Amino acid sequence: MNEYEHVEILLVDDSALDAELAIRGLKEHNLANDVVWVKDGEQALDYVYRRGQFEGRSGVGPRLILLDLKMPKVDGIEVTRVIKGDPQMRHIPIVIMTSSKEERDISESYSLGANSYIVKPVDFEALANVASQAGYYWLAINRVPG
Amino acid sequence: MIVGRPGNTIRGKLLFVVLVATSLALLISGAAMAIYELRDFRETWVNDLTAQADVIGLAAAPALQFQDPDAAYEYLGLLKAKPNITGAVIYEANGALFASYSPSEHEVAFPSLPDVDGHQVREDELILFKRIVANDEILGTVGLRASYNLTGRLLDYLGILGSIMALSLIGAALISRRLQRTITEPIAEVTFVARQVMEQRDFSLRAAKTSNDEIGLLVDAFNDMLNEIGRRAKVLERSNEALEQQVRERERAEAARAAGERRNRTLVTAITQVVWVANRRGHFVEEQSGWSQYTGQTRDDYRDLGWRGAFDPAAQNELELTWARALNEPEAFELELKLWHAASGAYRLVSVRAVPVLSLEDAVDEWIGAVTDIEDQRRNEEALRTLNAELEDRVSARTAQLQDANKELESFSYSVSHDLRSPLRAINGFANLLWEDHKDKLDDEAQRKLSIIRGQADRMGMLIDDLLAFSRLGRKSINRTHLDMAELVANTFERLNGSHESSNAEFRVGKLPGATGDRSLLEQVWSNLLSNAIKFSSREDHPLVEVGGIVEESENVYYVRDNGAGFDPRYQEKLFGVFQRLHDESEYPGTGVGLALVHRIITRHGGRVWADSRPGDGATFHFSLPKDVPHE
Repeated sequence: MNEYEHVEILLVDDSALDAELAIRGLKEHNLANDVVWVKDGEQALDYVYRRGQFEGRSGVGPRLILLDLKMPKVDGIEVTRVIKGDPQMRHIPIVIMTSSKEERDISESYSLGANSYIVKPVDFEALANVASQAGYYWLAINRVPG
Repeated sequence: MIVGRPGNTIRGKLLFVVLVATSLALLISGAAMAIYELRDFRETWVNDLTAQADVIGLAAAPALQFQDPDAAYEYLGLLKAKPNITGAVIYEANGALFASYSPSEHEVAFPSLPDVDGHQVREDELILFKRIVANDEILGTVGLRASYNLTGRLLDYLGILGSIMALSLIGAALISRRLQRTITEPIAEVTFVARQVMEQRDFSLRAAKTSNDEIGLLVDAFNDMLNEIGRRAKVLERSNEALEQQVRERERAEAARAAGERRNRTLVTAITQVVWVANRRGHFVEEQSGWSQYTGQTRDDYRDLGWRGAFDPAAQNELELTWARALNEPEAFELELKLWHAASGAYRLVSVRAVPVLSLEDAVDEWIGAVTDIEDQRRNEEALRTLNAELEDRVSARTAQLQDANKELESFSYSVSHDLRSPLRAINGFANLLWEDHKDKLDDEAQRKLSIIRGQADRMGMLIDDLLAFSRLGRKSINRTHLDMAELVANTFERLNGSHESSNAEFRVGKLPGATGDRSLLEQVWSNLLSNAIKFSSREDHPLVEVGGIVEESENVYYVRDNGAGFDPRYQEKLFGVFQRLHDESEYPGTGVGLALVHRIITRHGGRVWADSRPGDGATFHFSLPKDVPHE
């Protein structure tokens, strides 16, 4: 179990309600222990790069980023561009959370290297599927209520 | 023939004149006679009555002398024989009434004293007094009263006169009729012949002569005139023919001349190239017919270097420079200049080309050149350029507009998908949380209401999804590949049938011709049509969905038939509109976008969609795809 305690999911969403629902869902799948929620792309990058308010934070990861696209300041596309453009960070899987199947969003984030997408509200079955297909068994295993 | 009112014919006029003359003569003579007669009648009558009075006086004288009124009365009684005497009276010498007589019972009024001798006419009566004189002694007076009856006599007289006049008029009419015939008939004949001549243009006709009087002379004169006219007409005809012949010849000549001129003009305009020859110094020596024709210069004008004058003054410098260079180093050259064009009376842009003709010793013998009119060509090119530029401007403006509109649309659907969903998600999510976390605290009614909220929020999400899918479709490009429709249908049905919980529809697939189209879009079409068929037949005891295809000349037609609820064909039109639903949401759930989507996809593929049905009798949806793929 120890290994899984290090599971860190970075949830990036400017909508507190959406975030609450997502965290609730993750909790139900026993994944909420190590979820960090930030409100925009700037904070997300600060977290990943341990700077600003996250300077000197403990822990590795994040091991998965759930990323909303439409956000103030730095949007999801920009976050994807930076992380996937950085050889040090590009291994972090990014799952885009989108409001619709609006193809422009999806195709743009894919072209930047996003690993998958799910349509909000987050369908955790779908998330598990995505994760398992992407090889993140930890998520698939973890979602079984323990 | 002479036709017309009697008053308008000579005959009528003659008769009129004869009758008027006769009546006038009779009237005047009748009137004269009447006046004479009346006067005569009165005189005679007065004399007659006076004589009567004398006779009565003579007879009554003794009775007066012997004062015997009975005798006097007897004499007066004799007057009975004279019926027009209406009364008689005898006065004595002293004026006293002696005896009176009246043929009727009434007393005839006489003055109580005798009047003086004489008569007076009163109304219709003549009253006469006569002294009875014997041996120069007045014995008394006789008074007589007689009806005058002038009117009766006058009427008689007028009756006679009228009859005479009538008789004489009839006689005159008959006679004049007979006489007239000798006058009017020859005239009528002349008129008839004249008319015939006019109508038939036959100058050989002649009027018959029937008498030797003035009418006869008229007929002769008429015939002579016809003779003369006939002769002249013949002459005129001959000269007309000659004239016509001349006109025809002239017309032919004119046509030939016009054709020649047209041809010349066409030639001149067609041959816009003028060839010229100049000597080694650039002088025109020989005759330059083409040059003359184009510029209008005479031989004297263009001789030597005169030809330069035909160029636009503004072009003279360039011309001189080029020529000077060419004479120095003999080489072919080409210039574009404005040259005077006599036919259009303006300078026109020409291309002047000159080539030196070299002798065996490489010296210039002469220059040969050509002038080509390029004015029209240049103008057309210019117009074309302008037109193209305008067109490009318009196209780019339109493209920019379209791009703007597209962008606007995109940002609109982007907002819809994000901003509209965000609150919806919260409604749905928190309603779910309420359900999960506080279900035990909610009574049945609260739970029912909560489930309505969740259901409707879900439904709104679907509506937004469908609407966005629909609007995306307008912008999505069609990626055409060859498709095995049978396989596409089988897969789609399997997928759908699994997802419809209560569905156990029997599925029959006929032959399905292949198609060319966008795989995902046509899959959408099949999916929408099949899920509709499954949905609307789900309430039947034995739901049946049939699919088939027909190959036609220019297109393939596919259909999906079910034995379900069907629809009223009156609403066919509405069927393919966005958010149009023909059934109750609670009976058959759906957003009403599916068929609109089908319609748009098929239309974009160049095909058609239609449906037929009757309520309760199932529905058949057809769509066609063209065999020849249209260009978008």
